[in-house]
Amino acid sequence: MQSKLIKELPELVEKGVITRDIASKIEGYYASKQQDSPNRLFTIFGVLGSILIGLGIILIIAHNWDNFPKAIKTGFAFGPLIIGQLLVGFSILKQKSNTWKEASGVFLFFAVGASMAMVSQIYNIPGNFSSYMLTWMLLCAPLIYVLRSHALALLHLLFATIYACEYGYSYNGNTPWAYLLCIAILLPYYYNLLKRKLESNITSVFSWLFPISVIITLGAFITKFDELIFLSYIILFGLFYNIGKLPAFQNLRLRQNGYLVLGSLGTVVLLLTASFRWVWKDVLGISKTYISESSLVLVLFIATTVVVVRLIQKKRLEILNLFHYIYIIMSVLFFIGLANDIVPTIITNILLFVLGLNAIKIGVNKMHFGILNYGLLIIASLIFCRFLDTNMSFVIRGLLFVLIGVGFFITNYIMLRKQKTESRKQKTESNKTLK
Amino acid sequence: MQTIKLKYLFTLFVLIALVQLFVPLQMILGQEDILDKGTAYKFKTEPVDPSDPFRGKYITLRYAINSVTTKDSTWLRQDDVYVYVKEDSLGFAEVDQVSKAPLAIDKDYVLAKVNWYNKNTKNLRFNLPFNRFYMEESKAKPAEDAHRKAQRDTLPNNTYALVYIKEGEAVLKDVIINEVSIADYVE
Repeated sequence: MQSKLIKELPELVEKGVITRDIASKIEGYYASKQQDSPNRLFTIFGVLGSILIGLGIILIIAHNWDNFPKAIKTGFAFGPLIIGQLLVGFSILKQKSNTWKEASGVFLFFAVGASMAMVSQIYNIPGNFSSYMLTWMLLCAPLIYVLRSHALALLHLLFATIYACEYGYSYNGNTPWAYLLCIAILLPYYYNLLKRKLESNITSVFSWLFPISVIITLGAFITKFDELIFLSYIILFGLFYNIGKLPAFQNLRLRQNGYLVLGSLGTVVLLLTASFRWVWKDVLGISKTYISESSLVLVLFIATTVVVVRLIQKKRLEILNLFHYIYIIMSVLFFIGLANDIVPTIITNILLFVLGLNAIKIGVNKMHFGILNYGLLIIASLIFCRFLDTNMSFVIRGLLFVLIGVGFFITNYIMLRKQKTESRKQKTESNKTLK
Repeated sequence: MQTIKLKYLFTLFVLIALVQLFVPLQMILGQEDILDKGTAYKFKTEPVDPSDPFRGKYITLRYAINSVTTKDSTWLRQDDVYVYVKEDSLGFAEVDQVSKAPLAIDKDYVLAKVNWYNKNTKNLRFNLPFNRFYMEESKAKPAEDAHRKAQRDTLPNNTYALVYIKEGEAVLKDVIINEVSIADYVE
């Protein structure tokens, strides 16, 4: 992209489109931008190297060398740790480049894990896997801030997610509250990235991985009150969608805004699931309530509402965009669904249909074919689900399909007429100006 | 300004590094103390062989003492249970009594987790915490097999874990088959 522009500069200058001065300025700008990139490549290679060496050390240690006396084994435990600490200390003291800090930080991260693993082996400490990971993570968490290391922050997020799954989803699992602590530790770092480097690659990586991690782990918090899982996820996706609409994310491309994409996709997938009557009939029915899990869902609901209020304050709320308040409607439906299964099924279907039309409309207005096709996909999936729905009689299904088809023709016809009148208007106006 | 910030950052890092060193060191010291001052018990056991991604191959030990009859029926899964142990006539560990809180008696105990309470038989099953013995990766599987073979021969009670206990903390020192350390036995 850049090189293409630079190649065309001489032509533009020759044709008198831009002056020679501007051309050299453009060249200078891209040249300065490119200076960063080889540096970044070094960093990436450095980090990958450290990860490989670190994992290698852990594997070698995991061999369990039982021929060595305890003293040598203890040396093995502390050797890599001290080397890692010296490297990190050196790169802080000598104010080395980011490459140094990232690579040495990652090495130290794995050295800490290796040393704890080694001590466990020497003394046969049983400590389960999740508590081992948690200690490891917390011992290295401050390094994220001291070294300002993206790689360490990513490792932290990855480990926190694995920890939560290991602790929460396993047989006999418990609520992984420590995951919230790990996320809280990372939040200031992420906030800083959003504030200072909103459009950089690393920020969009976080803006995807952060919500993905929360989506993966949310289910681990709801271990007893299974009926709440659906409700909690629909609210979570509502939260993500609304966060994605905040002014801070406004100018980002879709691929940089994980919140918006995940929130929207998640909502649609969940609604499609809930558009079947058996979901409301069989799955939902509360036998016992659990306060801590209910309050977690309540906290999610309040957080989402706070974001929505914020959107209203900033005048960013699109009143006709249903995605903003799906979470409220579905929460109400959840309680209706406890008593009645037909009403919520019908409303969910209507909601999906409206969401699809909404997306198509936005796509047409913005001339954005991605959004347009997304809307078509929602409606197509809805149709597909209903076509397969064995709970409805063939006659009703048939009538519905015919009605929807007629609806499509009518909307198309109206849109066409509108377009024609508008283009006629434009023509007469341009004729006037020509005259 | 820059140097002050650097100094501050470096001091912070030194603190982190000390904590990172302290945690494994403290683990070592605690375990050494138990090995040094604790009492050794022999727990009859049965090894099987799984693996851990970071810490390598180990054998899981299933202990012969894993349950006790008790009238208290309020036990829940994963509850802590104080298991008091004593030596039987052959020198192996056996359960003296169990309790939900530490008792004021001069006997060694280990803190185990409740597995399951059977209300009909009044039988409390529990898991002893020292159930992991790390072994060189090539030896873990043979160790399991060796144990099975040793179990079939004519000598009774020939596989046990040597465990040091001090004030409720326990360190598993070795697993012994026919009076030989399991690591040497499989060689």
